[in-house]
Amino acid sequence: MAETTSNADSPDVDLRVAIDRSLRHPVMFFFSSGAVWLALSIVLGLIASAKKHAPDFLSGFSFLDAGKVDAAHMSTLTYGWGAQAAFGMLIWLMARLSRKECTASGIILVAGHIWNAAVAYGVLCIMGSGSLGPWFESSGIAGMEFPGGLWVVLLVSFIMISIWSLVQFQVRDAGHVYVSQWYLLAAMLWLPWIMVTAWLFVFVFDGSPLMATGIASWFKGTVFALFFLPVALASAYYLAPKVTGRPVWSYNIALFGFWSLAVVGPWVGMQKLAGAPIPQFLPAAGAAAMVMILIPALSVGVNILRTVQGHGKAVALSPSMRFTACGIVLFVGYGFLSFALNNNIGLKVSQFSYAGYGLDILGLYGVFSLCAFGAIYFIVPRITRREWLSRRLIRWHFFLSLYGLASIVICAVVGGVFQGQGTEDLTQPFLTGARRAAAYGWGITLAWGFLLLANLFFCLHLLLMWARLGRRSSHPTLLDKHHVESPHGPEGEVDNYGAATV
Amino acid sequence: MLKVLTDRKERSITTGQRLCKKFPSPSEMTFKSFIFGLLASFGLPWLAMVVFPFSKMRALEPVKFEEGDRKGQAYSPMRDGRVNEGSKIYGQEGCYHCHTQLIRPTYAGPDVHRDEWAGLRLTADNPDTRRETVPTDYDGEDVAHIGLGRVGPDLSNLGRRLDHYLKGRDLTPETWLYLHLYSPRTNPGYVENDQEIHSHSTCPSKSGLFREVPEILAGGQALPLYTPDRMAVVPTDRARALVSYLASLKKDTLGAPLPKAYNLNPTAPTKE
Repeated sequence: MAETTSNADSPDVDLRVAIDRSLRHPVMFFFSSGAVWLALSIVLGLIASAKKHAPDFLSGFSFLDAGKVDAAHMSTLTYGWGAQAAFGMLIWLMARLSRKECTASGIILVAGHIWNAAVAYGVLCIMGSGSLGPWFESSGIAGMEFPGGLWVVLLVSFIMISIWSLVQFQVRDAGHVYVSQWYLLAAMLWLPWIMVTAWLFVFVFDGSPLMATGIASWFKGTVFALFFLPVALASAYYLAPKVTGRPVWSYNIALFGFWSLAVVGPWVGMQKLAGAPIPQFLPAAGAAAMVMILIPALSVGVNILRTVQGHGKAVALSPSMRFTACGIVLFVGYGFLSFALNNNIGLKVSQFSYAGYGLDILGLYGVFSLCAFGAIYFIVPRITRREWLSRRLIRWHFFLSLYGLASIVICAVVGGVFQGQGTEDLTQPFLTGARRAAAYGWGITLAWGFLLLANLFFCLHLLLMWARLGRRSSHPTLLDKHHVESPHGPEGEVDNYGAATV
Repeated sequence: MLKVLTDRKERSITTGQRLCKKFPSPSEMTFKSFIFGLLASFGLPWLAMVVFPFSKMRALEPVKFEEGDRKGQAYSPMRDGRVNEGSKIYGQEGCYHCHTQLIRPTYAGPDVHRDEWAGLRLTADNPDTRRETVPTDYDGEDVAHIGLGRVGPDLSNLGRRLDHYLKGRDLTPETWLYLHLYSPRTNPGYVENDQEIHSHSTCPSKSGLFREVPEILAGGQALPLYTPDRMAVVPTDRARALVSYLASLKKDTLGAPLPKAYNLNPTAPTKE
């Protein structure tokens, strides 16, 4: 403790506290509104899944029609929760790593509200098509269901949110550029490029209807591979050395992992159009890239896990590292699953079955969201200067998340493979094959229930922190009954710096 | 001679050094080289996956007839019905989550041989019209509804199938579709080999596309059914556009000649 106190006087801690304070409002806004969207998205996912095996469930509400709920579920998960969690992580990590305070938190907060309003409007359009009038009509394009003009609003508000991080990076004092910063910088540059491209080529330019579908599919794939993945990996490359107190295991492997993702990522997406009358090269390249995602997955996985190796206790005790390590292990799993489902044989059964959905959820909820939870458990105590209230809530959140996620992915992939094989098998009627997945559909619905519970805990906990009701303590909340030395190091104890209410 | 060789050797060293400067070792990756790397690694796939295919698919060479009366003329597919509007509603209602509209070539899947998905089989009454999907099949639509999953059957030739199944019955394809959308599990089955096959559909009802009104207000548009409280069911305009689109899904162009390049009629599979 003595060390902590002396540390508190150093300019380093001064700077960190100043940075955290400058970003407090926007980051908390992104995390807490993201968590609310996540809860909504899970409810929609549960309804959508139930409708696949019990078609009369909640029938009679046209805004909850099967196809609309599916689209609203994926849109809220991606743009309501995923994007906002990523924004919070991105601006905080970049400010800390560039050692610059944020001078534009007001603008970021405004842009955040615009983003939220836009997503809400988009979801209204999806669910209200045909009943809310001509101003509320979705585009009806798989993967880009929001109406065309809305993508411009989202793009502008993203630029308003992220441009300051780019500036911070440019004006930082010369010195080491961290691995996390490569990923963050790249994500900030890739996403606008992808969004502008997709908006122009799908909604503005008049082209073949097949390419509109193909580019929307490419958009969905690349937004995950080149925005959500990099932000999650940036957070992992930040937290692993921070919590274990030792440098990233191998700089060269980090470099290789980054560039292999940069090279493979932009090709993904069009494998969903295998067999469509577009140049055969497109789905083939998409499938090949999905197979090769295994390369960055293995290199990042090995690198992060070697970094935390031997610090098992720290990983188990620190909520942030526990979630992050799990997310990274799942990234390796994602690589293997993507390899299995997108090769020549696998693609035939995964293209039109539940298995593809399982892979999407493993990516967005497994890899990205677990890393985001890890980051949130690390960042929120620092910016609110309060510690998490309850280790029990965190533990429940962790186990229910993992259990629900595993159930969804296993049910979707196993059921999807049976469904895919059944529908490809000409010796039996189509519906017999398609119906093979119904039992697994029940499993998926149930598993969304677990995730709903997990996220009610998470959401409640986060909103309490948001209301500044966290513990005022110098001891971080660890997942252990007995207090031990903080794996977060002295930096975790910001409250020693002075009165937190300043 | 010797001088030239040494010169070249020297030059090669300097080129190597220059390259090293351009692509520095990892620890000294500069911002410029980083951005250059990003531009290169993203730019190439961007051109190859988006820009070039887009311009190629936008201006596809029209396919010409190679024989028959229309030899040398360009093939242009014909579709009737409210195709563009209906296609939009198909997308907004999210039908693509459970239904595909794609008959894949056999290397990618056996769709051509599945039931009547790809067209009609050869019978005494009609020729074999099965074929794979071609680009012109989506003409008139803003976006091709390839589909994300197959919880329900492929709809590429839904209109053609219904024409075929409902032949000789007092039920138009449109009425069948209205009934199916309103109440998927109670609507009349179709007849195959003199047997009525009831649809064991798992499709959720799209009752939001219909209005329930007292019979006296229904005009001539009511469906041939009543709700439990004796109300008549009338399709909205959205339902009408959607049904018109669904009934227009006849990608096998029965009766109209097809250029040879598009006539992808499969040979019969061994196992059926």
